[in-house]
Amino acid sequence: MMTAARERVVSFSGVSKAYRRPGLLKTVEVPALRGLSLDLERGEIAGLLGLNGAGKTTIMKLMTGLLFPDAGSISVFGLPPSDVNAKKHIGFLPELPYFYPYSTASESLLYYAGLSGLKGPEARARVDAVIGKVGLRPHAGKKAAEFSKGMMQRLGVAQAVVHDPDLLILDEPVSGLDPLAIHEIRDLISDLNASNKTVFLSSHSISELEKVSDRVFIMVQGRLAKTVARADWESAQGGLEGIFVQTVKNP
Amino acid sequence: MTNLAIAWSIARHSLVENYKNRFFGLFVIFAGVLIYASLLAGVMAVDEEARVITDLGLALMELVTLAYALMAAASAITREVETKTIYLVFSRPVPRPAYLAGKAAGLYATTALMLGVMALIQLSLIYFRGFATPPFYFKAVLFIWCSLLIITSVALFVSLFSTSIVSTVTISGILWTLGHFTSEARFLIARASGASAPLLKAVAYCIPNFQLFNARDLGSAGPAAVSPGFLAGYLLLWISVPYLFSLVLFRKREF
Repeated sequence: MMTAARERVVSFSGVSKAYRRPGLLKTVEVPALRGLSLDLERGEIAGLLGLNGAGKTTIMKLMTGLLFPDAGSISVFGLPPSDVNAKKHIGFLPELPYFYPYSTASESLLYYAGLSGLKGPEARARVDAVIGKVGLRPHAGKKAAEFSKGMMQRLGVAQAVVHDPDLLILDEPVSGLDPLAIHEIRDLISDLNASNKTVFLSSHSISELEKVSDRVFIMVQGRLAKTVARADWESAQGGLEGIFVQTVKNP
Repeated sequence: MTNLAIAWSIARHSLVENYKNRFFGLFVIFAGVLIYASLLAGVMAVDEEARVITDLGLALMELVTLAYALMAAASAITREVETKTIYLVFSRPVPRPAYLAGKAAGLYATTALMLGVMALIQLSLIYFRGFATPPFYFKAVLFIWCSLLIITSVALFVSLFSTSIVSTVTISGILWTLGHFTSEARFLIARASGASAPLLKAVAYCIPNFQLFNARDLGSAGPAAVSPGFLAGYLLLWISVPYLFSLVLFRKREF
């Protein structure tokens, strides 16, 4: 899993983010992240744990340039996340991905491969390879509207890896998947990591993160409450779950 | 990948998704039935049958494609945001200007396709009744498309700040209606006095003049002749200004 040479891939420095919700008389600010600082290094698998509303998805959206920070700075491969040159290296799986209903799985993947800069035979070869990898080959010609939740999730993973990104950001990647699919996704993550790709994933499944991660960040109410290394939870009584419960109860 | 190539890719995908959508087919079938029904009006017109079939058919084509274009433009980006498919686009190296241009171009191509199919239906009916293609026909279809390009661009812009698809369609529909009376409005505004006059004049220039593209009347008296260069410039202005305003709204939008 973790390798020796370290290059910083993502860096958050004092990042804060609040959502503004229109109220009756004035706009209400709901803080999502408060002064977050964290780094991701090349070749590591980092997990993100937290209760609902802890700021996990916000971190991922900031990393992909879908949101902009209110304070602090973020760099992805040394560039702002909104820079297209940074995005070339990112693969993102949002929680519960949705696809254009009238496109087939192959058409959707070809479209996303094209947007990521792949063309012609190269794009088709990549699409063919990832469709096989996520187990969608028998359904490649089906429209997304006919897909089950699990198939959508597999297609979501496929679009995230179709352009062979250096940084893979996965928001709840095993949500809605059957045990076999979970196993395949886990293998896929390990394969990517073996080729020195960085994987950043969130999950409510502590056991899943425990299996694949080198480090886990525990978020509590928008703050980074604890960073736990594999050695820490392997030596702790109750494992990662014990550390998580303790951290959430006494942040 | 260049911005142009990305915009092209988005436009092509948008066109394919639009015409595969069952609403596209339903609108075309509906228009086809209405155009076919225009034969009845033509038969009743006796000596003017060819003209009635053509005029009525063109008007129906314009109205049906307008309804479709407004719905499609109002939901093009709104739906992508609601369904979160936009996450998969903007987490990639897709510049926002290229995305907007691609979405708009996809809509323009879809309306062109819809008009083309309807024109084929109408022309086949005209031939079926034994008439020749009216000399102004293709120009009239082109002008309908030009006015649809303008209203589609405006609707796409309105959809970026509007709260719902219905409000976008309503605002754009009002602009479309007002845009057919700009000459009359300017005539009345020219006679207005007091403090409100400059404001009214400014508002009048914020409404596109669709009468410039009313080529259906070419068959009879026709609109005042305007040079093709002016028309092309006017069209370009009314496509690019909403696009630039859209960019301003979209540049820092969060998802």
